Amino acid sequence: MNLGLYLHFPFCKSKCYYCDFNSYPLKNDHQVLSYISALHKEIALYSQKLNHSTIKTIYLGGGTPTILSGDLIYNILNFCKDNFKIENNAEITIEANPGTLDKKKLERLNKAKINRISLGAQSFNDSLLKKLGRIHTAQDIIDSYFKARESGFNNINIDIMFALPDQTFIDFQNTMKKAVSLKPDHLSLYNLTIEKGTKFLESYKEGKLNLPTEDEEYDMYSWAIQFLAENNFEHYEISNFAQPFKRSIHNQIYWYNQPYLGIGAGAYSFIKGYRYMNYKDPVRYIKEINNGKSPVDSGEKLSLRKRMSETIILGLRTKDGVNYQKFKVRFKINIEKVFNQQIYKLINLGLLRKNNYKIQLTKKGLFLANNVFREFID
Amino acid sequence: MLKDYHCNINYIRNFSIIAHIDHGKSTIADRLLEYTGTIPEREKKEQILDDMDLEREKGITIKSKSVRLYYHSKDGKEYILNLIDTPGHVDFYYEVSRSLAACEGALLIIDASQGVQAQTLSNIHLAIKNNLKIIPIINKIDLANANPEKVMQELKNIPELKGEKIIFASAKEGIGTSDILEAIVNRIPPPSGKPNLPLRALIFDSVYNSYKGTIVYIKMVDGIIKPEMVIQTMSNKKNYEVTEIGIFRPKMQPIKILTAGEVGYIMAGFKNIKDTRVGDTITDTVNPAQKILSGYKKVTPLVFCSIYPIDNKEYENLKIALEKLKLNDSSIFSEPETSQALGFGFRCGFLGLLHMEIVQERLEREYNINLIATTPSVMYKITKKNSEIVEISNPTAFPSKIEIEKIEEPYVKASILTPSQYIGVIMDLVQEKRGFFKNIEYIDEKIARLDYDLPLNEIILDFYDKLKSRSSGYASLDYELKGYQAAELVKVDILVNHELVDALSFIVHKVKAYQQARKIVEKLKEIIPRQLYEVPIQASIERKVIARETIKALKKDVLAKCYGGDITRKRKLLEKQKAGKKE
Repeated sequence: MNLGLYLHFPFCKSKCYYCDFNSYPLKNDHQVLSYISALHKEIALYSQKLNHSTIKTIYLGGGTPTILSGDLIYNILNFCKDNFKIENNAEITIEANPGTLDKKKLERLNKAKINRISLGAQSFNDSLLKKLGRIHTAQDIIDSYFKARESGFNNINIDIMFALPDQTFIDFQNTMKKAVSLKPDHLSLYNLTIEKGTKFLESYKEGKLNLPTEDEEYDMYSWAIQFLAENNFEHYEISNFAQPFKRSIHNQIYWYNQPYLGIGAGAYSFIKGYRYMNYKDPVRYIKEINNGKSPVDSGEKLSLRKRMSETIILGLRTKDGVNYQKFKVRFKINIEKVFNQQIYKLINLGLLRKNNYKIQLTKKGLFLANNVFREFID
Repeated sequence: MLKDYHCNINYIRNFSIIAHIDHGKSTIADRLLEYTGTIPEREKKEQILDDMDLEREKGITIKSKSVRLYYHSKDGKEYILNLIDTPGHVDFYYEVSRSLAACEGALLIIDASQGVQAQTLSNIHLAIKNNLKIIPIINKIDLANANPEKVMQELKNIPELKGEKIIFASAKEGIGTSDILEAIVNRIPPPSGKPNLPLRALIFDSVYNSYKGTIVYIKMVDGIIKPEMVIQTMSNKKNYEVTEIGIFRPKMQPIKILTAGEVGYIMAGFKNIKDTRVGDTITDTVNPAQKILSGYKKVTPLVFCSIYPIDNKEYENLKIALEKLKLNDSSIFSEPETSQALGFGFRCGFLGLLHMEIVQERLEREYNINLIATTPSVMYKITKKNSEIVEISNPTAFPSKIEIEKIEEPYVKASILTPSQYIGVIMDLVQEKRGFFKNIEYIDEKIARLDYDLPLNEIILDFYDKLKSRSSGYASLDYELKGYQAAELVKVDILVNHELVDALSFIVHKVKAYQQARKIVEKLKEIIPRQLYEVPIQASIERKVIARETIKALKKDVLAKCYGGDITRKRKLLEKQKAGKKE
């Protein structure tokens, strides 16, 4: 079995106002050390079970993994190599926040065979960055980006968010132009959503968040798609754009509904049709591990129907769409036997397109993807 | 033990308190109760007589109430004072007039900072009509912006109050309470009935109690009443045996006999609140009185709307809740109705807008039912070409234009009291609302009373709010039903995506049809969520479209992020959205 490996680091310098991820402002080093030690123990737990599997990609996400010292990161990856069979030249990505990278750390990351950096830029407008609760400036992004390049990283992603409070179309165009001028290998473009438990939700409820209208969001998103295409980016997933041969291999594992192992607090795994999740609270996670117990909080065995519908929903997020042949090989049934009615309804609505090999979203369907996905949900 | 006062009618005083909303009626009542020791210290709470939550919250009295006070006067004698608390709002005009008919005097409360209001004048007229002695009281004299001298001058200019001594009071500070009690004893005459005549008792209110059945509030005019007597309600000649009689302290307290002049309650196995209508006369079946007490009339609802539960499963609960409310309020009218758009619900009739609001709020609050109510409407009289006359309040039932010979709508006689600088803006407003000017009269150089005939239909929409906002809150309004007048009315239908939404149809004067229609389609455009396709919203009269808006098609609806763990959350979100759309 081929696997993607995800390692979660639930620490940040401070919490951004929009963020509902499993991350907490870092209080002391002791916290980090006991978490890292638990992480090592969980890796060791899987060592035996996965001795016939090959790890194809590794992704260090958070939080802010680069808040850790270069040595700690280096040690964890080495420990993974000791415990798992990892493919040569595996794609190894680390998420980094501008301002948490310096030359020395970057060298260690390089040594640890990390070969892809995902930089959380979000915007190149300092006043918007401040409104998001980011702790860096536009200049910090540029500095971090070039330091990484100078340290030999040749696969860098930049995360950008749009539809921000008070953001104008011109603001957004300027941010995109700056991002593209850095010539990143990959660009992720996320629409801001207001999530539970965030500061933004409170402001939103108080009517203090001046968000762009749906029409403005549409304009930003559709302009960006056009602009990135002109700059040689392939729009290969709803929110993701890549230079040729620079797609994120790890993320494609998710979209093709392939197996992955998640290590760390709140991490999800999807193995042999089971999806399960570790305890979200890092303290609880550490406690369970240290007591020699499984850190798994909950899980479900997905029904055939759910696995099929998730495969379609995730697949339709990608440019490649859902391939009939692959679907049949995987589920031993023709997709049209199961979802004929839905597929034709969506084709009639102009949201879906099909040929002899696959179904995929139309341009209209791309903007209204949720309306397509809902059709495949029971 | 109860003291034996009933024998001497000369020591009974029945009075009511009349006031504009917020002028302090309930607080004055509280002070009188306290002063006479009617309420023990430990049971004290603000506005003792308003016991519905809504009454206390809105600061208004909805149901009539009564309480007996024992007062030891400065002349050394003990008096029975019966306070009958009346609803303060124009919607409950009829109930007010019945309550007043049970009294010989009234305390007229005027706020020292706000002065005479339109309702003050109509209260005075109502009191005079009922031959009541009026005791004017200027309340809230402790307020920083109080101007009692100015208010006193206003009162002196009212001819009906000529020669009446005015009492200054602050119910909040307890100033003037003993003056008020002395004035009640010395200035209000005792009741005029005779204990030796055949029984005549006026019903001034009735309530339903789930343990005791219907309880009727009465003012004894002539004769006596005792348990086990057989009595008759004179309007419908129904007979009942009295099971319990009593007085209000303010809680109900059983007593052995009620005689002429007293105020109290009767229980007599009344099955249905409709059989004991406010204003009716009760007599002795064995020795009946010859003449019914004057003034009894059937109350008719003036304002109508349809009420639907948001969740159709709640229909049964709504039905039960309405029945329960009707047990205590016979003026609510309701009948089942179905709408293509909204499902099963009720067409309801109310005494006025406030009454409607209160009933809707009680349904939502006390019975926990989420409601949709249609735009309020009035009862129209339509004469068809075949000379058939129909009364219609529901736009859905409106006949088509070719069938109609004549439409008539209800008019009210409205009087508006306003500081003179607002006369201009108010005249404009009334004109917009299709009012006919009748008369203007200056109460003094600064306050004028404007009399108009106005279509009720215009008043129930937003007239009152507009009157208040254009006069900086100073103008006040009072109205009573006048009769029907012919008008050019049309029915406007609303179509969403080319389909008629029956519950949104409304009846409006031809001249204002376009303006109203525009407002509604614009409002709907805001509140209907975007769909995958364009949705036209049209307003039409007799199939001719007069206003249109278009809800643009949904342009963007896509989840930005979806990685490893997200799929579980995203699937749940999509499931929830899908379930939401089905309903």
